[in-house]
Amino acid sequence: MKLSEGESSIDVVLEDGVASLGGRAVPFSTRRSGAAIVAIEAGGESFGVRAVREGNRVFVWCAERTFEFRMDPPAGAKRTRVRPSAADSGGLLSPMPGRIRRVLAAVGDAVTRGQVLMVLEAMKMEHSIRSPRDGRLVRLACAEGDLVEAGVALAEIE
Amino acid sequence: MDALPRRLLIANRGEIAVRIARTAREMGIEPVGVFESSDAGGFHVGHMARSIDLGPGGPAETYLSIPKLLKAAESSEATAIHPGYGFLSENAEFARAVAGAGLLWIGPPADAIQKMGDKLQARRRMREAGVPVVPGSDAAAAAIDPSDEELLRRGAEIGFPLLVKASGGGGGKGMARVDRAEDLPAALEETHRVGLSAFADGRVYLEKFFESPRHVEFQVFGDRYGSVVHLFERECSVQRRHQKVLEETPSVALDPRLRESMGRAAIEAARAVGYVGAGTVEFLLDERKNFYFLEMNTRLQVEHPITEETLGLDLVRAQIEIALGAPLPPPWRGGKLLPQGHSIELRLYAEDPEDFLPRSGRILLWEEPAGPGVRVDAGAGAGTTVGVDYDPLLAKLVVSAPDRRSAIERARRALSEWIVLGVETNAPLLAAVLASPEFRSGRYSTDLIGRLPSRARPQPPDAAWIAAALAAGDGGSPAAPAVSAPARSRDPWDERSGWRLGA
Repeated sequence: MKLSEGESSIDVVLEDGVASLGGRAVPFSTRRSGAAIVAIEAGGESFGVRAVREGNRVFVWCAERTFEFRMDPPAGAKRTRVRPSAADSGGLLSPMPGRIRRVLAAVGDAVTRGQVLMVLEAMKMEHSIRSPRDGRLVRLACAEGDLVEAGVALAEIE
Repeated sequence: MDALPRRLLIANRGEIAVRIARTAREMGIEPVGVFESSDAGGFHVGHMARSIDLGPGGPAETYLSIPKLLKAAESSEATAIHPGYGFLSENAEFARAVAGAGLLWIGPPADAIQKMGDKLQARRRMREAGVPVVPGSDAAAAAIDPSDEELLRRGAEIGFPLLVKASGGGGGKGMARVDRAEDLPAALEETHRVGLSAFADGRVYLEKFFESPRHVEFQVFGDRYGSVVHLFERECSVQRRHQKVLEETPSVALDPRLRESMGRAAIEAARAVGYVGAGTVEFLLDERKNFYFLEMNTRLQVEHPITEETLGLDLVRAQIEIALGAPLPPPWRGGKLLPQGHSIELRLYAEDPEDFLPRSGRILLWEEPAGPGVRVDAGAGAGTTVGVDYDPLLAKLVVSAPDRRSAIERARRALSEWIVLGVETNAPLLAAVLASPEFRSGRYSTDLIGRLPSRARPQPPDAAWIAAALAAGDGGSPAAPAVSAPARSRDPWDERSGWRLGA
């Protein structure tokens, strides 16, 4: 299986007490408390670990740090969510989860680079969402009061 | 002192609702919680024996709705209301409405809330009471004209950089730093607009900006009979985006003489508005150890536990007793109260530790630190959903030790035991603060976090990759048989599952 964490992405195969980490063989064993694994011994050291999977993300606590791994879909698997890339269009993406407090432009408006198009409120702060360039607003994907996730398209500028 | 109420409505959520409920139960008062419908799974609801559903509509229609809160008190037969912090805690209208409904208000008089809530009025009162205030303007015009000659002239006198502040603002909201005279009109306009929309008060004023100040606050308490005391200071200079991240007491910046004069000024500030109950007077302390009144928070502070720990007190209990008409306890008035040791509070936020942007999601695993000198006031736990409608504070870790050095080591130890999976937290930032030589020396100011060296992303050790692969549920390893895995679909991308390892 392919796992990614930060910039690293490697193939991990576990077989007969040996992990293959990107082709490197690491013998390991597990320590249990009841059914749960609480420590992993690898390379002569034992690490207390906790790990929980949710969807295609795996959260791991190990060596007093937390890591978030992503399970990369095998070839042919369809992704349920495709993140639009900021580079591929005039799309404007939400920088964080929050609530759209105000929309200050309408479809058809000519907009200039840096112009505030909407105000996103997350927790106790307001964040201005600005136009990345000069152009025309051709699509608005949100309205005042909407809750938005991080990375979703809010508007499109041509 | 009047008889104790039988039931207390806690008009709040999160860790502070839980904190208040604990004291209520110890006093034999039954706590009653409230919640917004979509917050029915909130941590505080699970903690209370009884809570009232305020209906849907987000915080504005529930935790901030005076009529709904009064109705909840009526239907639950609660005869007292504690507002906690945030929400309606500094709303004079709420304080009046609670008293008007014949209920006991666990907070200062509405009149004192109002006087301190108006920052411009408060500045003027403090000056009159002989409390030093930050140099600035006192223009009290009801509406602001951004081309106001007087404000522009005053700005030039104060000098740049300076701060434009909304009179109704606070908590880092409604203020703008201005570096050049030509940017002042735009900042006046912007702050005026924010003030109007966020606080329904468009008045703005100017304040001198200090490059590396410290924020030191004093806990004060007053009773109905005119006695006011201070319960020493809290050092609150570790901040990001003007919001506190770590607090400690005592402050290394104060010597006994400075402590005495700041404490006296704090008492004068409270007296000037006829203060009763718990309040906090915030000061700015410059490099030359001049101090200036910033504002007074007319409620319980988030960071109140460090005062409780060093003095061995329960401030919520004191709030309730004073609201019932008890005088301040004699030892408080006799100057016999002396702090013991050192206490530090760390605020665990659901946020990116690098850019401080809030994070949301569901907490999948939560293990709290414990052991000697450790107290955790939590408002979240395993299964808690962290949304975007509420404050990202998850919990507070409060450590106490005989001296500052051992308190810092204890804080590092406790932080390293804290396991939170599922939602990113600022724990790495807190660890970096505790490790920084500047913080450890005690010679730090509000720009500490901005000056921390950049942190390298740690690489996962081999064991972490192996644990991830085990939890990912890759079959074929005899070392990793299914661990209490709920029914799982073939394709892990199809649905969210709660498969866990080491739970």
